[in-house]
Amino acid sequence: MKIQQLYRILFLATTVTSVAIAQDDAIDLDDLFADEFEEQSTVTINDPLEKYNRAIFKFNDSVYTSLVKPVARTYSNVMPDRVERGIENVFKNLKYPSRLVGNILQGRFGQAGKETGKFALNTTVGIGGIFRPSDDFEGLQTHDEDVGQAFARWGFGHGFYLVLPFTGPTSLRDFVGDFVDDAVEPINEPWSQIEDDTDRLILRVIEITNRLPAIMELYDSMRRSAIDPYSSVRDAYAQRRARQVAQ
Amino acid sequence: MLLLKRISYLAVLTFALASLPNAQAEESPEKLLEQTISEVLDVLHASDQQISLIDKRTKILDLLQSRFSFDIIIRRALGRNWNLLSDSQQNQITTLISDLLIRAYTRELENGPKPEIKFLRTDDLGSNKIEIVTTVAYKSNFVSVSYRLANIKGRGWQVYDVLIEGISMVSNYRKQFDEHFQTKNAADLLKLLEGKLEE
Repeated sequence: MKIQQLYRILFLATTVTSVAIAQDDAIDLDDLFADEFEEQSTVTINDPLEKYNRAIFKFNDSVYTSLVKPVARTYSNVMPDRVERGIENVFKNLKYPSRLVGNILQGRFGQAGKETGKFALNTTVGIGGIFRPSDDFEGLQTHDEDVGQAFARWGFGHGFYLVLPFTGPTSLRDFVGDFVDDAVEPINEPWSQIEDDTDRLILRVIEITNRLPAIMELYDSMRRSAIDPYSSVRDAYAQRRARQVAQ
Repeated sequence: MLLLKRISYLAVLTFALASLPNAQAEESPEKLLEQTISEVLDVLHASDQQISLIDKRTKILDLLQSRFSFDIIIRRALGRNWNLLSDSQQNQITTLISDLLIRAYTRELENGPKPEIKFLRTDDLGSNKIEIVTTVAYKSNFVSVSYRLANIKGRGWQVYDVLIEGISMVSNYRKQFDEHFQTKNAADLLKLLEGKLEE
């Protein structure tokens, strides 16, 4: 009798196990190729100047490879990471006016308030923006806004894709937006807080040089893994801006 | 009595064996991904000078394949163009692009410091899909990297797309493939990929 009971237990154990495994609600492999998974390929950017853009892209690529990358690498090797991060933080903090304007133009007054709080905290406690104590406050987390994103919120499309010499990808909309962003920043004219032209230039050079290693590393990885680097960078630009606008 | 004991052992063994795959399945996808990434970084930054770069990349590919379904990533990237390829071309392209990706994204890291990865949150995308959001602190930069995973029958939680700074790798490749196949064919693509790997 006992043997029979144990056989039953054994049978039950096997059955329960099979049921547990069968209940696994994972999806079929083929479902990954169904239409619902095709959601990503919708972001596009009009490129009527492709021929011109490709020529500039090629020019930029040779400048980056022969000149910018060696400078970026040397800078990165010489400059301690902490110092690089501190400099990056200072310049990012100084871009507060353009983030503020970007938020206000989109009617995001709550976000504008957060940006102001963040700027005040990082400028004072963070010693001129070198450190980012605001990172420790969940209530002060924001997405970086700019005027180009505000234009997008107002319903303006990209217009068309543009590759500028040296600075690279942008669009007509974002190019115009950048003018406003630059204008409200404290370093640039017309409302610059720095009187001397040479000082302004030096600060600009420091800012750009400090950003180069990060940009070059990302660009290099993309370029190496791409089938067509031009098309890859253009799509990356369109996807990135679409995400920023959506946030 | 001996028979009773044996049957009891058998019952216990059945339960134990049965619970083993379930226990693995219950391990969170975040933990599994974290473990895979950590193992990859260990290989990449192994101080053992005896391991050649090629061996390191082979090891990394093996490790990644446990959690990253490259075949799915590449088939999804090719989209409708997938069906223009023969079986052999599909396999070749999958292998070549996997190699290309490993090379492109390990080259910088090989000589640099070990990046710090912070797992921020997991978003439920519905239908057995999730997005694990991380930030990678590398040198002086912070890069946002998100992994999209699906719970696939017979494979478990697998990465089917990676988003760097919000840029979907699948979508980015799809744009390039779509443009390529407008004017060129699969043989040209294979040639191009082989050329890139020789660079």
